[in-house]
Amino acid sequence: MIVSRRLRFDTEQPTQFIDLTSRLQDEIHASGLRAGRLFLQSLHTTLGVVVNENEPLLLADFEAMLDRLAPAGSVYLHDDFERRHGVPADEPANGHAHCRLLLLAPAMTLLVEEGTLVLGRWQSVFAAELDGPRSRELALQLEGDFVPGGRGVLPHHHPGDLVEVELARQLAVDPKPVQLPMRRLVEAGGKRLRPTLVSLTGRLGTGYDPLRTSTLAAAIELIHSATLVHDDYVDESPTRRGRATVAAREGPARAIEVGDYYFAKATRVIAELGSPPVTSTVAQAMEAICRAQIDDVALRGQYPGDRTSYLRVVQGKTAALMSAACVAGAQLAGAGEDVVGSVRRYGELVGIAFQMADDVVDYSAESGKPPGQDIRQRTLSLPLIYATEDREVGPEVRELLAGELSDSEVERVAELVIASGALERVGQEAREMVREAVEELAPVPVDGVRSRLVELAHSAVDRVS
Amino acid sequence: MSERATVEIPDRDLESLDSLWSGGLGEAYNAFLRETEDARVALAAAMVEIGIKLQGIGSHVAAHGELLLGDLCLARASRLLADVGDQHLQIAFARVVERVSSDAAAGVPAPGVRPLLMAALAR
Repeated sequence: MIVSRRLRFDTEQPTQFIDLTSRLQDEIHASGLRAGRLFLQSLHTTLGVVVNENEPLLLADFEAMLDRLAPAGSVYLHDDFERRHGVPADEPANGHAHCRLLLLAPAMTLLVEEGTLVLGRWQSVFAAELDGPRSRELALQLEGDFVPGGRGVLPHHHPGDLVEVELARQLAVDPKPVQLPMRRLVEAGGKRLRPTLVSLTGRLGTGYDPLRTSTLAAAIELIHSATLVHDDYVDESPTRRGRATVAAREGPARAIEVGDYYFAKATRVIAELGSPPVTSTVAQAMEAICRAQIDDVALRGQYPGDRTSYLRVVQGKTAALMSAACVAGAQLAGAGEDVVGSVRRYGELVGIAFQMADDVVDYSAESGKPPGQDIRQRTLSLPLIYATEDREVGPEVRELLAGELSDSEVERVAELVIASGALERVGQEAREMVREAVEELAPVPVDGVRSRLVELAHSAVDRVS
Repeated sequence: MSERATVEIPDRDLESLDSLWSGGLGEAYNAFLRETEDARVALAAAMVEIGIKLQGIGSHVAAHGELLLGDLCLARASRLLADVGDQHLQIAFARVVERVSSDAAAGVPAPGVRPLLMAALAR
């Protein structure tokens, strides 16, 4: 079986390398190709295709090399319109671009296994614009074994790979005393939900630029990481992602410095992108996070609080940055207001649902965390709030929470929460929020990333850790 | 509150940080206001200065509450500069925080925050 497609995009620079890896992966996924080949062919004489590393300085090197070998300012017979016949009125002087394509390839074949492009760790697939800006088109053919009914296997490492490279690049240039603690945290893993959201919504406008999108995505992950570094000091948490927290390992002073450095750095990197709407979106989210953090600590005096105050804190602490990630990605790509509005609400709902699921996971033996950690740390938790409101177990839960919490009390509170049915109630609410989040996407054109956004929303609540 | 009223700062810009006004924020604001005509820029600079001071960067370990207030000061400053829309200042102020925090982490004596911010404003 062969599936044929066309990939269309606009370029913005005379010479530009456009990373198509994510879009090609989307095409594979949409076609249901499980194993086979993807043929890729430029439909232009000044547009090539190439596989290489997506590293900004290297791309600048390529551009410089092409300019050395076929300089734009040289004399080309092709540009002597008086000697040519039938030259259109709008014919550009682009002999250099045609010559440059001789150095590249107009077509290529890529292998596909398990629904994923077979690429090495550093390989990306680029269209090489040699005479931009222009509207461009590539022909694709996918051939091989397809999943019946379409929709293939989701790739494991997409679209985050470019973000990982960008994160490593941003960290590599920082002073060691702040860089090393942050690297330990970033390299310990994490779900990378926020940068994934940026990477997806960053494709929703005509101005999609993978490099700028990955820069934004990495900066937002750094903001998230900086908040974790400060939170861990405030919560006196000994470990995160299985490793000692910055505060526990290097002391609170270093934790404060590292957090401040990366808040500031991320702010600067985002400002340098030169998009005022993106700068505003992220700045407002940071303010919301800080306000909510103050609220959260203040509410610990009235522990466990109520649903209204819980939602207020979660909207700031978790949902604000998730929503901002969605919005900023779309804004950077120049998406329309309708799309921006929809992904804002999508991000907010997924953020709240994610936190609710996190609360439920705290009671799971498979969570990988010490059982009852939220109870022990007196963290706001919706199942606990619902348990205290329960007619049967509520009085005992409130009484236990009013006193000192040793291991046996924590265990008893957890038992009561489970017996009250609060976990099912919170899980149901979280799934309902995900349903609403997915509905938010229905009326807007988010084709190409819709299935990934839907899957991501579901994965935010259907998890055990 | 009356002192605050004389400088006409919107409530939104001092929300949750009112208590800092008499603790140095007001003095810093007035000092920066002598260097810039834009009250929001002066307030942003004052927020950065007080935020770093509250967090004890290079001097002491801030208590939890001070750290969180300091975070809010720095975030508010970012938002104010985003409202102003001056990319140069956004970058310059961020660089001040980067420098002060990384110097402190490296054990290097930090230059005063106010002169760094004043220099950023003067450029």
